[in-house]
Amino acid sequence: MSSQVSIVNKQKKSKSAVSSKERVSRILHKYGMLMILIGLIILMSFLSPTFLTTGNLLNIVRQMSVVGIVAIGVTIVIITTGIDLSSGSVIALVSVVAASFAHPDTYPFFVPILIGLGLGLLTGVINGTIISKAKIAPFIVTLGMMTAARGAALLFSDGRPIGNLSDSFKFIGQGAVFGIPVPIIIFAFVGVISYILLNKTKFGKYVYAIGGNEHAAIIAGVNVDKYKVFVYGYAGLLSGLAGIVLTSRISSGQPTAGVMYELDAIAAAVIGGTSLAGGIGTIGGTIVGALIIGVMNNGLDLLNVSPYWQQILKGVIITVAVFIDSRKNRKS
Amino acid sequence: MNKEHVLEMINITKEFPGVKALDNVQLKVKKGTVHALMGENGAGKSTLMKILIGIYTPDSGKIIFDGEELKVSAIKNALDKGISMIHQELSPIPNMTVAENIFLGREPSYKFGWVKAKELEEKTRKLFEKLEIDIDPKAKMSELSIANTQMVEIAKAISYNSKLIIMDEPTSAITEKEVHHLFKIIRSLKQEGVSIIYITHKMDELSQITDEVTVLRDGKYIGTKSSDQITKDELIEMMVGRELNQIFHKQQVEIKELALSVQQLSKKGKFENISFEVRKGEIVGIAGLMGSGRTEVLESVFGINPSDSGEIYVHGEKATIRSPRDAIRYGMGLLTEDRKLTGLFLPLSVQDNIITVTIEQYAKGGFLNEKKIREDCQRLSDQLAIKTPSLQQLIKYLSGGNQQKALIARWLLQDPDILFLDEPTRGIDVGAKSEIYNLIFDLAKKGKAIVVVSSELPEILGLSDRIIVMHDGKKTGELSREEATQERIMELATGELVTSGS
Amino acid sequence: MMFLKRWISMVVLLLLTMFIAVGCSEKQQTSGQTGKQSGENKKVVIGAALPDFDDKWLSYLQDGMKEYAKTQPDVEVIYVDAMNDANKQLSQVENFVQQKVDAIVLIPVDTVSAPEMVDKANQANIPIVVVNRIFDGVDKATAYVGSESIKAGVMQMEEVAKILGGKGNIAIMNGQMGQEAQIKRTEGNKEVIKKYPNMKVVLEGTAEWDRAKGMSLMENWLNSGKKIDAVVSNNDEMAIGAIMALEAAGKLNDVVVAGVDATPDALEYVKSGKLKVTVYQNAKGQGQGGLETAIKAAKGEKVEKFNWIPYELVTKDNVEEYIKKWQ
Repeated sequence: MSSQVSIVNKQKKSKSAVSSKERVSRILHKYGMLMILIGLIILMSFLSPTFLTTGNLLNIVRQMSVVGIVAIGVTIVIITTGIDLSSGSVIALVSVVAASFAHPDTYPFFVPILIGLGLGLLTGVINGTIISKAKIAPFIVTLGMMTAARGAALLFSDGRPIGNLSDSFKFIGQGAVFGIPVPIIIFAFVGVISYILLNKTKFGKYVYAIGGNEHAAIIAGVNVDKYKVFVYGYAGLLSGLAGIVLTSRISSGQPTAGVMYELDAIAAAVIGGTSLAGGIGTIGGTIVGALIIGVMNNGLDLLNVSPYWQQILKGVIITVAVFIDSRKNRKS
Repeated sequence: MNKEHVLEMINITKEFPGVKALDNVQLKVKKGTVHALMGENGAGKSTLMKILIGIYTPDSGKIIFDGEELKVSAIKNALDKGISMIHQELSPIPNMTVAENIFLGREPSYKFGWVKAKELEEKTRKLFEKLEIDIDPKAKMSELSIANTQMVEIAKAISYNSKLIIMDEPTSAITEKEVHHLFKIIRSLKQEGVSIIYITHKMDELSQITDEVTVLRDGKYIGTKSSDQITKDELIEMMVGRELNQIFHKQQVEIKELALSVQQLSKKGKFENISFEVRKGEIVGIAGLMGSGRTEVLESVFGINPSDSGEIYVHGEKATIRSPRDAIRYGMGLLTEDRKLTGLFLPLSVQDNIITVTIEQYAKGGFLNEKKIREDCQRLSDQLAIKTPSLQQLIKYLSGGNQQKALIARWLLQDPDILFLDEPTRGIDVGAKSEIYNLIFDLAKKGKAIVVVSSELPEILGLSDRIIVMHDGKKTGELSREEATQERIMELATGELVTSGS
Repeated sequence: MMFLKRWISMVVLLLLTMFIAVGCSEKQQTSGQTGKQSGENKKVVIGAALPDFDDKWLSYLQDGMKEYAKTQPDVEVIYVDAMNDANKQLSQVENFVQQKVDAIVLIPVDTVSAPEMVDKANQANIPIVVVNRIFDGVDKATAYVGSESIKAGVMQMEEVAKILGGKGNIAIMNGQMGQEAQIKRTEGNKEVIKKYPNMKVVLEGTAEWDRAKGMSLMENWLNSGKKIDAVVSNNDEMAIGAIMALEAAGKLNDVVVAGVDATPDALEYVKSGKLKVTVYQNAKGQGQGGLETAIKAAKGEKVEKFNWIPYELVTKDNVEEYIKKWQ
């Protein structure tokens, strides 16, 4: 048996070793996906000389802002162990309804915006209310909303796109302030607000608590039902916002818009480290996740990779990224 | 290398972020003996066992099993090597039968994976016969009581015909009768030359069943002693590193006015006509066997599963409690029985776990006063001596005792008038237990009304001013501190004797 | 309080169900006509199995059928929606066979399951006319009415080649990969490009028929630094997306954009000169032709096996006439 003294010495030595090792693993843990993103960017810049230009980088963020806005809402939903499959269809519904109020010389530009946001919020509140009151699984409820909202969008527009939008409305999706496209500004704004909401308010603490252990949250006196309605409402609101940005960007309300956006959004959240088991996830991570998808889309287009190969590569890169992330987590 | 040892773990070291879980630990188990492994929660017992069965890889050290060095990569298949483990946390698959659970993954089957159901059942029946267990192999796991589930788990570990069986607190969820049964099984296993590592917190089990005991403390090896030579005091000293003359320092506290009165509370199929009262400064114990309805009564008063009938009065006024939120508003707090299932937010930090109930207090217009949160949590963490590298550490990395302390901190932050504690020291070591007892006494001194549910009679007897005993959903008696003895309580708890309250 | 909350959630639930119900009933309205059929036996009853009522272009095709049906007092048409589910369509065709309709008009959901539906009708000796989507074994059907997808690609590309003077860099924007229209239209494009040695495909990608995705793809292409003289798109929506991206980058004047479909939106872009070429696939013509052929077959008249409804090229010169068609 070793003596007391030697044990103490060894412990001291290893303590400093632990902390530096720990620091490395913490950094890896926190910024692993960011490094993968940077790695992808470096790789792409070597492969395509035009990739690393301000114009193209802004372009990537602008393209991802619609999915990114949705992904932020979806992230919060997933943190509560929920899921929202209705985002894409809600985008379409908001798109046609908002567009019909955005014709030139009819209403001021904020009317379609408010109507769109309100409609998005309403769909989310309906989702949240049914999920929390009727105790139906989020997957089913939002699947229902996905179908119903798409149907409503087609019904409202008679299946046809709604064009002829006012210039002031188009500014949201096509304009720029100090050279920065408006969708990026909106995306960043949503990111900051959501970060604050999730990290600096009791709402955020409750979101994590509900996802960490819903039963324990109820016993700790959290009004779980109410906060679920908030969470889905917020996700719906952001889908509405995404719908407005999209509509303005393509100058047309499209009942077929946003198909599969919910899956891109979920992918962005999961790549960004959000756990489908709940309780884990960050806004920053999701933004990085969305950018990884954006960089891949853009880079593969720049390199003129065949559309067939693009799909395969995207699938592989997403899986590998999440795999590396999970390995790193396991090690620490 | 020693022939008489079936297992030698030498100089095992394992680090986790922020914690050195094991530091040069050794464990040597002789062939055909029962070797107790003791230590406070967080001492490293579980980590050591997880290394042995290959869940964790040690950073350094050597493991020799059955005369052969287990290479790190080869440990994975501990079962193949002849090591099986009965986990403390049961993990049955509820919708499968007992037989299917026991032989999961090694069902006798034809080619193409078609299971031979008859043979499976027969094998289980034979196993149960040998072990004298009276459970139907065809029963669904979900139909079994916790005690029977535990027995199935024990049978499963034995069914591997292992040379070494690790038992992690096998008696924490079973009754006296089954404990005797288990000990009988252990003795016959010993005779067959099987060795057992027996993790326990119960001192009296040492002399009853074990041959040797190894004690760990704070991830370090403290020593190995023969079980019949060591005294209780010596053992406690080894475990906590200080002398512990007395665990309970029951202080006389002035019992004041009525805080909570429960009248004729009933819930169909769970309990009926339960009445009791708790005064400020008083500690009331609720005793009873598992399934007697103790926990259900607490859950009902606290609004988790509201009662069908009956009335609750708080400070003399009638209270309507339909949800935990209502209960909290009436100044109640509940430390639940199952930490992981209903208490902890495992993915979150220690701090976030502590503030859940009280966030409202720190929110101004929705925004949180983080400085105040940090200060308050730090104060409580210091007060309760929660061992954690920082408040931002994820709670899942803390030991059971420290997790429990964090949960108590959660309720202390809320400062309730009435506190329900359901098995406050389950799976917690002696040192932490004593700390928690002192805390409960302090709370009583401050005028809190406290209700404690516990399966451990010494705990109930040591803590309570008054003890309510339940059996089969009914209150079978109420004993004052002076009247109460282990025997009296057991009589009432087993329904052998029914007396009206004193 | 509790009561109020429950009540509100019930109302919300009800609203949602109504939403769904309205959506459904809209789709089923036309099939309500089935009831009439038993009363008036003399009428020629045609069963029309459509893949998707929500599809824009198909709705114009259906309009063509409806308009023609109005001019035929002794004809009744039952429309059913397969909601893009081939299985559902098969059972709908079986239902028509059970109902003993006089003829079936079929626009198959996909080309794999279509032969079986044709077989079902043939076994029951009910004439079946396949419209719009062609497949191997279509000759077993009574007749086929439609346009040849490849011709759209050829027609579109030839016009672009003419504008460019037979030389230049081409970017091809594909629809959803693997769909018949995508494969054939792109094939048609490339057939033409092959004929001109000074013309080559420099970029090729998919925007899945979607305007927003077409816009993103074009933006990415613009950043690739490759010189592009023409964007040839499998449909108009993607072409419009490309135009918007080009416009934002101030490069629309340097690039010729071409689409297919001649949707009302696209025609506006043609009118303003932004979209140089589109190809009109005569939806109403196909619908009308399909129904007309089916009625003939139902009455026992002889019909042609293949009835080609030609594509029509739309440019700024003739755009007005197509704008009128949609009004």
